[in-house]
Amino acid sequence: MSIQNLNTFDPFADAIKSSEDDVQDGLVHVRIQQRSGRKTLTTVQGLSSEYDLKKIVRACKKEFACNGTVVEHPEYGEVLQLQGDQRENICQWLTKSGLVKPDQLKVHGF
Amino acid sequence: MDDDMVFDPSLKKKKKKKTGFDMDAALAEQGESASMEAPVETGDVDVPEDDNLDLDNFGKKKKKKKKTFFNLEEIENALPETPPIEEPEPQEVEDIDDLDLDIDFSKTKKKKKKKNNLDEHVVEDDVKGEDQENVEDMHGDWVGSDRDYTYDELLERVFDIMREKNPSMVAGKKQKFIMRPPQVVRIGTKKTSFANFTEICKTLHRQPKHLLDFLLAELGTSGSVDGNSQLIIKGRFQQKQIENVLRRYIKEYVTCHTCRSPDTILQKDTRLFFLQCETCGSRCSVASIKSGFQAVTGKRAAIRAKTA
Repeated sequence: MSIQNLNTFDPFADAIKSSEDDVQDGLVHVRIQQRSGRKTLTTVQGLSSEYDLKKIVRACKKEFACNGTVVEHPEYGEVLQLQGDQRENICQWLTKSGLVKPDQLKVHGF
Repeated sequence: MDDDMVFDPSLKKKKKKKTGFDMDAALAEQGESASMEAPVETGDVDVPEDDNLDLDNFGKKKKKKKKTFFNLEEIENALPETPPIEEPEPQEVEDIDDLDLDIDFSKTKKKKKKKNNLDEHVVEDDVKGEDQENVEDMHGDWVGSDRDYTYDELLERVFDIMREKNPSMVAGKKQKFIMRPPQVVRIGTKKTSFANFTEICKTLHRQPKHLLDFLLAELGTSGSVDGNSQLIIKGRFQQKQIENVLRRYIKEYVTCHTCRSPDTILQKDTRLFFLQCETCGSRCSVASIKSGFQAVTGKRAAIRAKTA
């Protein structure tokens, strides 16, 4: 029987691991914003800067048939904007493409 | 399974008592039992089951002896009587045995032992029921035997005891947290009213400001509490949507993250919010409310005019 307390434990194992595999760290916030009338805007904040957001937005626009841009924000970095309520779509797409783990996604809004 | 645990203590006791008693029995007629055992027991229906049990519980063996002993006496007393008694009630052989034993002991020995015997029979019944169901080893098994108890048995035992001691836990395994649904009404075309906002704050024991901050940040809009203590939110929202947001708020800021009890206090401590649970005493920090990135949705020209 092994004694658990005597096992060596690397406290940085998690940190190393997360930087090694290409899934990004930190939460990704998916929000919705109301615009005039029934129009809405979906923002995706917190995607790793290692990703090419322009390419992501290009793929998303094609996939969801909506327009979108990448906005630079001094505090939050690059933020993805998509027209319409694309929260479901973007969550599925991000997890399917393996960019973000499901537990890192945080969906806000109603 | 519950029932078994209820009987467990009696099982233990029984064994102790039985050993004492059995000595008497054994002393009383050591010689007689061996020869008479076979013919008498063929009359009893539960003989095969008894055999099975013998393998598991050495306690049962003793019981068998006892039975034989009673049978012997009975045979001595009233051999012709027993068959007619047993025949009319073929369904409940066990019961009959009980009765016979009772009669027997009232004749021969003190009443205490009769009680013992009844207990034993109940236990035996239970064990038999389990045998028939082919349940894995019953948890009372290792009580008297030398074999090691398994983890599962101990776990089951603990849970049974817990359930027995506080039945409220079983009934309300998941404590329900009931609150009124939010009353959401549209005001005009652009605004939404959350009529029982303060009432909900009270039921949640939270500052209205905190809930307001959360709601506005999550919905990404602006709003305020008006004179009638109702919340006016800019934008069109339905009750279902508000409910979703409220649910998320309760999950994050009301229920304890450890024990999920809603009996908590939210304290602000050095710029951080801490959730202190009144039930389990745990204390953990909760995420601060951030509205995050807000895209420009209004007229850009208007913003430019404002800043310039």
